Amino acid sequence: MIRYLLRRLGQSVLTVFLTLSTVFVLVRMAPGDPAAALAGPNPTSEDLARIREQFGLDESLLTQYWVFLRDLFTGDLGTSYSFHAPAFDVVLDRVPYTITLSAAAIALTALVAVPLGVWMARRADTKRELGANVLTIAGQSMPDFWIGVMLLTVFAVLVPVLPASGFTTWGGLVLPTVTVAVLQMALISRLVRREMVAALASPYITVARSRGVSERALTWRYALGNSAIPVLTALGTRFAAMLNGVVVVEVVFGWPGVGSLVVRALETRDYPLIQATVLVTAALAVLVQLLIDLAYPLLDPRVRLGKAA
Amino acid sequence: MSRPSETAPLLEVEDLQIELITERGVVRAVDGVGFTIAPGETVTLIGESGSGKSTTAMGLLRLLPEGLAVLSGTARVLGRDIIADPKAIRRIRGRGVSLIPQDPMTALSPVHTIGHQLGEALRLRHPGLSRADARARGIELLGRVRIPHPETRWSAYPHQFSGGMLQRVLIAIALAAEPELLVADEPTSALDVTVQAGVLDLLMELQERTGIGILMITHDLGVARLVSDRIHVMRGGRFVESGPVERIVDHPADPYTRGLLAAVPTLGPWDETTRPAAPATAHRETL
Repeated sequence: MIRYLLRRLGQSVLTVFLTLSTVFVLVRMAPGDPAAALAGPNPTSEDLARIREQFGLDESLLTQYWVFLRDLFTGDLGTSYSFHAPAFDVVLDRVPYTITLSAAAIALTALVAVPLGVWMARRADTKRELGANVLTIAGQSMPDFWIGVMLLTVFAVLVPVLPASGFTTWGGLVLPTVTVAVLQMALISRLVRREMVAALASPYITVARSRGVSERALTWRYALGNSAIPVLTALGTRFAAMLNGVVVVEVVFGWPGVGSLVVRALETRDYPLIQATVLVTAALAVLVQLLIDLAYPLLDPRVRLGKAA
Repeated sequence: MSRPSETAPLLEVEDLQIELITERGVVRAVDGVGFTIAPGETVTLIGESGSGKSTTAMGLLRLLPEGLAVLSGTARVLGRDIIADPKAIRRIRGRGVSLIPQDPMTALSPVHTIGHQLGEALRLRHPGLSRADARARGIELLGRVRIPHPETRWSAYPHQFSGGMLQRVLIAIALAAEPELLVADEPTSALDVTVQAGVLDLLMELQERTGIGILMITHDLGVARLVSDRIHVMRGGRFVESGPVERIVDHPADPYTRGLLAAVPTLGPWDETTRPAAPATAHRETL
């Protein structure tokens, strides 16, 4: 178990490092110049050269990478060009907001999608289930920026019961959470339905029914218990993806999270900030994935992590 | 093993028909069969795959998918008409009638312990039973079906047992219902021949001690000969021949029964060198 954990941690660190290195190269290959973004209107070529020298951007890519790695091992991710503060600290300030939004969205998803999926599986192929099915397809098809704008129009403008943007009260959490969760609820409920239909058709359900187990226990304890792994995996993967920044929704709602930060960092070609964001979000995603894997043997006794490849 | 016929039968079936709604249309899987089982009796339905024998058993327990199986005729299980009142079976499943399933490897929930599933069966039979008492009684039951070290096996999961041991666990779970009628749906066909004998032995011993009636479903004439009082040979949803085990085996009247007998090289399930060959080797029937 310890060996498994060490190996997984090693893999995680490698994953984050490779992601970070790839992004390091890619942002410098992409068109756009941080110096032009920083210099203000009508800069002279001397101005630009001075700025490039100041941030070490006049060096070769290899030298820049070497300096980046050296600083990384001392815990220094560079100074954000636009915030004039350590890039790592700028990102860390934003992380709690993204975690709050993601956690709220995934909790809402689980609370709605699991009962909905179970309900659909119990009534598979009936007329009422068809209605739910159509709803989930609609939920899958609506773009999140559109849902966000619609919710804003209704609940912040027409009937102003909730704040339109920012996170100053807990009410501000409602609209972004719902916006993020719509797609996830649609996807996860369909997954739950599929898994439950398969589980409910298993021989052990028939045999349990033969010994007088109630339909309720068959559904929630037996069938759902046996569907837990794929459902939890999907929820975890979605959560990890949200931690990378729920970009569109954060921008629509002015949410001060990592997603809106990354947009600003990209606009200004703020290389250290981009790199710090990638490091933090990739580490979070990998951590969540690791936690899910560690939960497997609790959900299915047949999984023994020590033997996993 | 037969008892005097004045005792009320545990199972009375008359002109039972079961129609299954499949993608290719309606199939009459069981076409007008009738038989009875008295306490202490073992009645066997034998036939090849698709003959309707498992469908009969599952239909009588109302375990066929609702809406996809239509039952008609008369069937009384422990005196309750399960065709006129489809919900009646719910009151006796696990409380008087039990099932021993076909394939023990898939018959238990893989994510719940043996103790959870056996304890649950005990507590369904005796709603007032505490967890600790259910555990004590369950461990005793596991011992009765000769599971070694039942105290430690209580918290083990199904994948930690062999097929033969799992079938013993399933028999223990079936016994938790304190059944009067036991439906054994090919209880040994997924097991090795050597293990089969032990499981059948156990069933016979339990029957002698408790006087339960058994409905045995099998494709194996060796099994049928060993355990049955009466045999009904089934083909295409009908009984082609019925009678006491000796007469069916020694003097088969129907050509199909003779064919079944001829297909078995040597009778007797303890012959380890041969297994009954086709057509009797048909495997699991789909429910």
